[in-house]
Amino acid sequence: MPALLEVKNLTKIYEDGTRALTDVSFSVQKGEFVVLLGLSGSGKSTLLRCINRLVEPTAGEIIFDGRNTTTASFQELCQIRRDIGMIFQQFNLVKRSSVLRNVLSGRLGYVDTLRSTLGLWSAADMRRAHGALKRVGIPEKAYNRADELSGGQQQRVGIARALMQGPKLVLADEPVASLDPVLSHSILQYLEALNKEDGVAVICSLHIPTLARRYASRILALNAGILMFDGTPKLLDNAKFKEIYGQDAESVEEEGRA
Amino acid sequence: MTTPKPASTQAPIQPPRQLGKRLLNLLIIVIIVGMHVYGWRVTEIDLAKLAHPPINLKTMVSDFLHPDLFSRQQKSARVYVPFIVPCDSDLKPQGSVGHGLTLTPTCGQTGAEVAIVLEDARPNTAGRLNWRFPQGSSTLLRKFTTNETGRFEASVAVPQAPLGQEKGQQGAEVILEWEEGAMRLSETARAVADRMLETIFLALMATTFGVLLAFPVSFIAARNIMTTNPVGTAIYYITRLILNLLRSVETLIWALIFIVWVGIGPFAGVLALILHSAASLAKLYSEAVEAIDPGPVEAVRATGAGRFQTVLFAVVPQVIPQFIAFTVYRWDINVRMSTVIGLVGGGGIGFLLIQWINLLQYRQAATAVYAIMIVVASMDYFSGWLREKIT
Repeated sequence: MPALLEVKNLTKIYEDGTRALTDVSFSVQKGEFVVLLGLSGSGKSTLLRCINRLVEPTAGEIIFDGRNTTTASFQELCQIRRDIGMIFQQFNLVKRSSVLRNVLSGRLGYVDTLRSTLGLWSAADMRRAHGALKRVGIPEKAYNRADELSGGQQQRVGIARALMQGPKLVLADEPVASLDPVLSHSILQYLEALNKEDGVAVICSLHIPTLARRYASRILALNAGILMFDGTPKLLDNAKFKEIYGQDAESVEEEGRA
Repeated sequence: MTTPKPASTQAPIQPPRQLGKRLLNLLIIVIIVGMHVYGWRVTEIDLAKLAHPPINLKTMVSDFLHPDLFSRQQKSARVYVPFIVPCDSDLKPQGSVGHGLTLTPTCGQTGAEVAIVLEDARPNTAGRLNWRFPQGSSTLLRKFTTNETGRFEASVAVPQAPLGQEKGQQGAEVILEWEEGAMRLSETARAVADRMLETIFLALMATTFGVLLAFPVSFIAARNIMTTNPVGTAIYYITRLILNLLRSVETLIWALIFIVWVGIGPFAGVLALILHSAASLAKLYSEAVEAIDPGPVEAVRATGAGRFQTVLFAVVPQVIPQFIAFTVYRWDINVRMSTVIGLVGGGGIGFLLIQWINLLQYRQAATAVYAIMIVVASMDYFSGWLREKIT
C-alpha cells in the first residue's frame, strides 16, 4: 500500500537565509499518530507548513495521497488542502466571528465562492458543523463569539474546524503549548479519538517527551532542521533523547561561560 | 583643589575643535531667520491693518451677531384724505377718503396749519404720516405710534410742494405697519435649512459611494494580502501610487474639475468628495487590513479555501470595527468639506454663503455660518460618540 504522505529531501531556506529544514525525508502511513518532537526553532512548524504549502519548500518533494503538492497549481493545492486539517498553537480562530462560522469555515474548500459569500450553507454542512461541535463537547457554544470561549474550548473549536474538512491527515502545530498542562491531555485525547475512530493520520508537533511517548505511535525528532530520529516511542528513551538534544544544552552552557 | 595632581605637563583635555560645526549651526540659524523675513514680506503681514479696521467691519460684526432667523408676517394699513390748495380752487377732491382720518380744514395755502386726527385705528401701532403732492410724490411728516385706543393727533403745516405742484389736490396719508401671527423661520433660515439638508446628504452620498469604492480597493492596497506573488506586488504598488496621487489633490480642486465636467451644482461636489473619500478611506482601510492577526488567515487558507473566501472569512471579520470607525470619521470630514465645497460651486450651503458674502448681506451670511457651526459641531460629537460605541 502506498504511503499517505511521503516527504522526500525537503529543504527550506527562508529569504533571510535562515536554514529551517535540511534534507528531511520520511513517510506517514494511513492511521499513524506521528509526534514531531523538537525544541523551539528546530523546524517543526516549518515542516508542518511545508506539507500543506502554507510555506513554500525550497527543495524536495512532497507526495500526499498520490498527488505531488510541491508542483500543484493553486486549484489543485486547494483540493489537497481540503484533505489535510490543521490545528494551531494559537488556535487561529477568527475571534469576532461566531463559533459556528469558524467551524463552517473548515468546509470552504467544498463550497463555491458565491454560496459561501452569501452564507448559504447547505443543511448537510450545518448538521455537520453542529455534529463536529458536539463531538468536541461544546455543542451549546455554537452561537457564542469565538473570543468568549476559554483557551481549551477555542482549541476544541479548532479541532471541530478540522473535522469539517473530513480530512485524511491532521497536522497539529504545538496544539497544547498555549494551554494549561491539565488541558493538554483533554485536547490530545480528541486527536487520539480522531486517529483511532476515524483512522485519520495525525502529525502532531510537541516539545514535551512524556506527552510524545504517551500518544505517539511513532516519533520523529528534529534538531536544527535535521531529522535526528525516526522510530517507535520505545526506542526514544531518555538516553537517546539526551543524545539528540544534550549537545545543544552543553554548547549553550559553554557560550554562557565564555 | 588641594589634592596633588600627578606630575604632568599636559594641558587639560580640550574639547575637540568644533568651529566647523558651530559655523554650520550659525548658517542654519541665518537661513531660518532669512526664510521667515522673506515669508513675512511675501505674505504681506501688516499688523497695522489689524489695528485699523475699516468702518464696515463694525456693521459686519453687528450683522453677524444678529443673524436672520425669525420673522413674522408683515401687515400694513393705509388711509388717505385729500387736501385742496388753495381753498378757492374748483377742484373736486378725488381718491379714497380714509376711515377715521380727518383733516381740519380740508383746504388752504402752503404753510397753513392743519389738524390731523386718526381715530379707531389699530392701537399701539407704529405708523408714518406722509404728505402727498399732486403728482404723487410725498414727504414724510413724522413717525408716530397710536395710543391704546388707536388714536393719533397732530398739527402740521402744509409743506412746500415741489416746483409747479403748489396748486391742486394734495393730501395726508397715514400708513400703519405691524407684524402679526407667530414668529416664523425667516426666508433666509428656510433657505439655509434647505441647503443644509442638501449639504448633509451630499456628505452622505459621498461617504457611501466612497466606501463602496474603497472597500474592494483596500484589499488590493494591503501589503500582506497582495505581496505573496510578483503580479500581486506590482498591483499593490500601482494601487498605492494611484491612491496617493488622488489624495494629494484637495477636494476643492477636484470640485473645480468636476464642475467643468458635469456643471455647477451638488453633483460635482458629490463626485469630488467621492474621489477624495475613496482614496483616503482605501488607505486607512488597507492599513487596518495590514494590521490583522495573520493566524486566522493561515488557518482558513489551510482548509483549502480560495483567495476570495480567505479574505472574506479570515480578514473581513477582523477589520470590520476599524472600517466602521474610519467610515464615521470620514462622514464627519465630508460634512465639513461639503459646507465649503459650495464656495467653488459644488452645491450645498457654501453656495448660499458665498453669494450672501459677495452681496454684503452679512445677516443672512451669519445665519448660514451659524448653521454650519451647529451641524459640524454636532456631527463631530455624534461621530465621536459612535466611534467610542463601536471600538
